[in-house]
Amino acid sequence: MISEAARADIDRWVEKYPEEQKQSAVMAALRIVQDENGGSITTEMMDEVAAYLDMPPINVYEVATFYSMYEHKPVGKHKLCVCTNISCMLRNSKGVVDHLQEKLDIGFGEVTEDGMFSLKEVECLGACVNAPVMQVGEHYHEQLNPEKIDRLLDELRQES
Amino acid sequence: MDTQKDQVTIELNDTRLEARQGQMLIEVADANGVSIPRFCYHKKLSVSANCRMCLVEVENAPKMLPACATPVTDGMKAWTKSPKAIAAQKSVMEFLLINHPLDCPVCDQGGECDLQEMALGYGGDTSRYTEGKRIIKEKDYGSLVSTEMSRCIHCTRCVRFGVEIAGIPEIGGTGRGDHMQIGTYVQKALSSELSGNIIDLCPVGALLSKPFLFSARSWELKSVPGVAPHDAVGSNIQIQTRNGKVMRVIPQENEAVNEIWISDRDRFSYLALDSEDRVTQPMVRNSDGQLVETDWQSALEAAVNGMKMVASTDGGGALGALASPSSTTEEFYLLQKLMRGLGSNSVDHRLRQQDFSGQSDQIAPQLGTTLQQIEQQNAVLIVGSDIQREQPLLSHRIRKAALSGAAVSTVNPDGIEFNFPLSGEVVTDQLTPALSAIARAMVDMGMGGDLSGLSALVADANVEPAHQAVAESLIGGEKAMVLMGEIAYRDQNQAVIYALTGAIASMSGATFSVLTEGANALGGLLAGAVPHRDTADATVDSVGMDVASMVDMAPKGLLLMGIEAESDLAAGPAAADAIRKSEFVVSLSTFADSVTMGKSDVILPLAAFTESSGTFVNAEGEWQSFGGAVAPKGEARPGWKILRVMGTMANLDGFDYNSSEDVLSEVRGLCDQAETEKWSWSALSDLGDASSCTVASTPIYQVDSLVRRSEPLQQTPLAHAGQATTGGAE
Amino acid sequence: MNMLKKIIRTWTLSELLKGLSVTGRYLFRKKFTLNYPEEKAPQSPRFRGLHALRRYPDGEERCIACKLCEAVCPAMAITIEAAPRDEDAPEINGVGRSRNYGNRRTTKYELDLFKCIFCGYCEEACPVEAIVETRVYEYIFDGRGQNVMTKEALLRIGDEHEPQLAADLEVDGRYR
Repeated sequence: MISEAARADIDRWVEKYPEEQKQSAVMAALRIVQDENGGSITTEMMDEVAAYLDMPPINVYEVATFYSMYEHKPVGKHKLCVCTNISCMLRNSKGVVDHLQEKLDIGFGEVTEDGMFSLKEVECLGACVNAPVMQVGEHYHEQLNPEKIDRLLDELRQES
Repeated sequence: MDTQKDQVTIELNDTRLEARQGQMLIEVADANGVSIPRFCYHKKLSVSANCRMCLVEVENAPKMLPACATPVTDGMKAWTKSPKAIAAQKSVMEFLLINHPLDCPVCDQGGECDLQEMALGYGGDTSRYTEGKRIIKEKDYGSLVSTEMSRCIHCTRCVRFGVEIAGIPEIGGTGRGDHMQIGTYVQKALSSELSGNIIDLCPVGALLSKPFLFSARSWELKSVPGVAPHDAVGSNIQIQTRNGKVMRVIPQENEAVNEIWISDRDRFSYLALDSEDRVTQPMVRNSDGQLVETDWQSALEAAVNGMKMVASTDGGGALGALASPSSTTEEFYLLQKLMRGLGSNSVDHRLRQQDFSGQSDQIAPQLGTTLQQIEQQNAVLIVGSDIQREQPLLSHRIRKAALSGAAVSTVNPDGIEFNFPLSGEVVTDQLTPALSAIARAMVDMGMGGDLSGLSALVADANVEPAHQAVAESLIGGEKAMVLMGEIAYRDQNQAVIYALTGAIASMSGATFSVLTEGANALGGLLAGAVPHRDTADATVDSVGMDVASMVDMAPKGLLLMGIEAESDLAAGPAAADAIRKSEFVVSLSTFADSVTMGKSDVILPLAAFTESSGTFVNAEGEWQSFGGAVAPKGEARPGWKILRVMGTMANLDGFDYNSSEDVLSEVRGLCDQAETEKWSWSALSDLGDASSCTVASTPIYQVDSLVRRSEPLQQTPLAHAGQATTGGAE
Repeated sequence: MNMLKKIIRTWTLSELLKGLSVTGRYLFRKKFTLNYPEEKAPQSPRFRGLHALRRYPDGEERCIACKLCEAVCPAMAITIEAAPRDEDAPEINGVGRSRNYGNRRTTKYELDLFKCIFCGYCEEACPVEAIVETRVYEYIFDGRGQNVMTKEALLRIGDEHEPQLAADLEVDGRYR
């Protein structure tokens, strides 16, 4: 199920480690597989990664469940990661969350009906200086307010 | 190494103690009787230091240190019971109890629980934690281990056991923080042959024995030491009984034999004891051909008279006896004494062996060294053996050797995998050519020994790189052993394989080990329950019938002890036919199988391993005696008692024993006298047909009548996988 | 001198009068003799009478077969067999079956009243207030074997006296 391209990508990571420690590439491999699968991984994929890296499946499960950036349920096209830690909380992250939930009609961990957005509560994103913060894809969106959020959602919708 | 330099002096609780450099504080404390509470530390597992229960105060350390992960240094001062240490331990205990359900009254671990015991010493009377506790869904680990993971305190002993001991990492910690769970993540039954040991390792009631679930409390059980009857390791066990019924079997620590482990076979075979087809009444076949229950006196009379009748009309040679290789030494001794008294040398217990042509040249199947020594080997060659399934705990020793760098190689049929890394592998269905090639490689390397009859075979062999590699690793190993297992032992061309393996061992200066089926094959041979040798290797006037010839010739009178013909003998259905052809069959049976019930003229109920006293001689030659743990079921009687009375009734001399100890001291005395002359290996002088085809080994849960009847064992993945289960070694 | 005193005491019947005065006093006091069985002595909520097994309000039996009462019983009067509750277990008031499937339950709970010394340790040991002692002390056995109370009998007694038992445990609760 892992595509040739993904395999080549994983191999590139495997090469960085000594031969007998190729399981070190597990995190990269999981990320590659997740990206290819539209943002989430399944048990079958983890098994394949385990087989590919020659390690017991349980060790892959351990890694994949430990890090919160590996998703085990399907996610939307855009994963909106809202920080709710203290700095953001003090700058009204609750308002951001409420607005998003109302606007998208989903709760944390859910996907919109059109499969466009999913919402996720995350810990500190390290951008407290511009709280409240939300991460979408590889971009940070800072000093959020309802207007900014609406504009962003529209942009994201138009993008696709 | 300089031992003086190696020694350090520490002060533990203001007492000066000597310790070895690099030892952990907790080891020193344990060795000196200072108790430190712990959950995750286990002497047989690696240190993980994650429960934090063993925090102790160490001089000049800013914080409390975990004793299990603190190596001792010279002049170190530590206190295990100082106010600071106690406070730290109490705090850790409070944290551990936060998510522990405290359902001790319904928990099977209650009464033998580490957490319960520590909580008594270090727990507070009330908890300051008022929030809800974590609940984790029950997981399915298969038919042997029951789980209640809400009770888990994340000590990871079971995780480390899977990686380090079982060699099959199946359990892990998934998730993080509060969401961390110990489990297999996917629904999966444990597939290790040692999986039951995690029940003992678990310090709380998270992992429990499924068949034992809720059936008794630990304080109700009476514990009787015993010896496991399934393999040649002779694992020490505790048979725990309640109201005269065996409730469970747990391991008894014996560093020289089974360390602290037992295989699942040893742990769960007791479940067969109450199976419905136990024979509980003596039975005699009447003139209509029907089996009718009767009393012992008339059953024994019928048995002895029938046997004597055959002996008087057709001569003693027309009698034959077959015994299970897991019979006790006492039973073997009395059986052969009875048969030889009646004039027959046809006694055998090597049920799955097919080729007996080399028997006079072969030593008794034994290890040739101690079990502990296996760990010290540098090179091991396994010939024709699924050792991991045949002798699980012996295999564990080999695994230890392999992990510490020994070169382990195999000559095996395809499809056998182990949980330890192999340095060399010869996969073949033809053991003889492969072994000849290895021998040839050795000869070519100038290690030639006395090959006598084998010379031609070896000279013709075609050496391939794999053979060369095996030969080199054996010769290169300072301590080497060549281990011949059941598959080789059962081969139709066993004589040649045996001689070749022996030759390889002697040429490379390795220990020659032979391991075969049953718990007491060595005891059977020492006691003389074989057609070609009397007790203690004494010679016999005429060699009697072995198993194969008994199947071929169907002796007129047959005495069967603990045998299910169709499953226990190599010949299987043919053996059953031979028994059916026989004129008079006496069966000492624990279980009523179809052949026994269909043919036997007299059935005498035989006590099972928990119900009889006796002695097993394990592979290294250790005589391990045990007493009966419970009274035999129904009218069943221990085998030695039945045979003793039969001997007396047959008017034979020397059958007036009062106890099994009397029998033991007689046979032990004979063996001790003979043991001054060492067993020796001699090359085969005459070669038979040198072609060879291997037979599959018996699946792990098919080896004897007990495991075949243990329902939970039959439901494990291992029972279905047969010998081709993957080892999962990386 | 002592001799003289003794003679005077004897001949004036002072000792007799002293004794009779006690008798006399009690003759006019309120009687504390009870006309059992018409009248009955008052009972403490801690009264230790005939045993009973209690249920939860939903009808499920409380006993979890922990065997602590069996272990603590000094007279060894209690015998318990335990097993996971099987699927065929009878429904109780329409509940209990599916919810408690696989739970730890007794398959046998026997209490020999001939052996019992009514010490109340079983009650004290019970973590779920299942085995209790009722205020019942009037009972008879009219046949051999009736002294061994079965689980059914104990549960029946419990059902019969539940309001009283619950009230008594409530009162005593804060001292436990």
